[in-house]
Amino acid sequence: MIIEARSLHKRFHDVVAVESIDFDVVPGRCYGLVGPNGAGKTTTMKMVYCIVTPTSGELTVFGMDVRQSPREIKARLGVVPQDNNLDPDLTVCQNLLTHASYFGLPREVANRRSDELLAFMHLSDRARARVPDISGGMRRRLVLARSLMNDPELLILDEPTTGLDPQVRHLIWDRLLELKERGITLLITTHYMDEAQKLCDEVLIMDEARAVDVGSPAQLIRKHVPPYVMELRTDRKSASDIRQRFGQLEHQVSGQNLYFYGDTPGLFDEVIAALPEAQRILRPASLEDVFLKLTGREIKH
Amino acid sequence: MKDGLFSVTPAFLTVWRRNAQVFMALLKFNILPALAEPLLYIFVFGLGIGSYINDIEGVPYIEFVAAGILGSAAIMQATFECTYGSFFRMSIQGTFEGIISTPVSATEVGLGEIAWGATRGFVNASLVLLVLLFIGVLHHWQVLFIPFLMFVAAFNFAAVAVLVTSRIAQMEYFRFYFAGFILPAQFMCGTFFPISRFPEAVQLLAWAIPFTSFIDIARSMMLDRPAAALLPEAVWVLASTLIFTELAVRSMYRRLVR
Repeated sequence: MIIEARSLHKRFHDVVAVESIDFDVVPGRCYGLVGPNGAGKTTTMKMVYCIVTPTSGELTVFGMDVRQSPREIKARLGVVPQDNNLDPDLTVCQNLLTHASYFGLPREVANRRSDELLAFMHLSDRARARVPDISGGMRRRLVLARSLMNDPELLILDEPTTGLDPQVRHLIWDRLLELKERGITLLITTHYMDEAQKLCDEVLIMDEARAVDVGSPAQLIRKHVPPYVMELRTDRKSASDIRQRFGQLEHQVSGQNLYFYGDTPGLFDEVIAALPEAQRILRPASLEDVFLKLTGREIKH
Repeated sequence: MKDGLFSVTPAFLTVWRRNAQVFMALLKFNILPALAEPLLYIFVFGLGIGSYINDIEGVPYIEFVAAGILGSAAIMQATFECTYGSFFRMSIQGTFEGIISTPVSATEVGLGEIAWGATRGFVNASLVLLVLLFIGVLHHWQVLFIPFLMFVAAFNFAAVAVLVTSRIAQMEYFRFYFAGFILPAQFMCGTFFPISRFPEAVQLLAWAIPFTSFIDIARSMMLDRPAAALLPEAVWVLASTLIFTELAVRSMYRRLVR
């Protein structure tokens, strides 16, 4: 087991950030922590990379206790933090070499790895640029390259693609899947359910410091929502009309969006016939539907 | 013992090296402005005020004040580096969090910052010493050891600065530190005139601040005369440096690892 957490607790003064969480991360898998802001995802991750100390409970990484062996644990993992904490006064390449020095990597190994990783992240031609002179997408890729300098067995990523354009997101996803194929274990937080669904083998849904449910994306979808969703975008008045007429179908309201859930697409025929002008999409249920159900409004009948 | 000096490994030198690399990248911004203040003091006290003052303790005023100017250059540089500089790296740039996510520990970040602040004080003191040698104020070979003494002085002030930095929530609190401690220390520790001018109680207070001893020892080397009480002074400057360093790295650990 790469990570084992048992009744993991963290309190900051009188604020409970993480309450009694259990989870196991298996080698070579991608494990996702999802949940609304303030759910305790980042605190959980920081306990794993030993910069937040658990208040109580057990947490081992690579079989070592985070309280006893932080240096040994940190030597074997890489971290992509939520905010890019690159050195703005150094060049792209110097950022990687300085980071390597914290791991005590010999100079020639660091040089070779920085060349390889800059190529891997499509940054080779910007090696001599200063950090303020490169784009946000490049900075994120540089942080990812930096996290790989020590050839980690476990890569921890806190919202790796937040605020990035689709091209960069896809590039980062491709790279993460490639790393997973090479046997690196991934622990990731995200607000994007498509990202979790695409990358994660197992997802822990957190809300208000607690674990709400855990499973593979497919398991969670099967367990919590019917397989088909009809999504309607309409104005407030029509929304309430539609709800009155089709209230017998399982549905959820979110602002001006209406979501109908069903076991077969045929269930929605009446809705489709009655509302030709409404903007509607019929799609398979996704992790986002599970997320909204478990952490947002409950589905009403 | 995970948060004190006993837990520190040579990995603290990687933090020092990171700062040195940034310093070299911004060299022109770092050397000349840092020297402006001591050069101004030499000019003002040597040519300006000095011409109105007769000999002080038997030597021309510029020769008396040289130790104070040099000492101020060292401790002010270390203080700026480990207050505003360290706070910026800690709270705004996220540098420290990045470093402690690697095998380097929070105590090593604290010691690396202090060692770097001491180094900047040493560099500044050395440059001021060269200027003083050049203008012919210094006459004795042992002055060449003064930069090393000033490294310890800068280390002492860097440690206190890191202790303060690790305790405050926002940069504005440094104004209290500068107005309440650094400026008084810079002017009241025998820097620009002998503390024998003060009432006895104030003299005792001045001796309690290690800077008074650093200046006294440096001046004794420059003027080739005995220090006020070399052994107790040496013990006090070394002991206080060690104590503040221990307090600072512990406090930095508590700040960074929550």
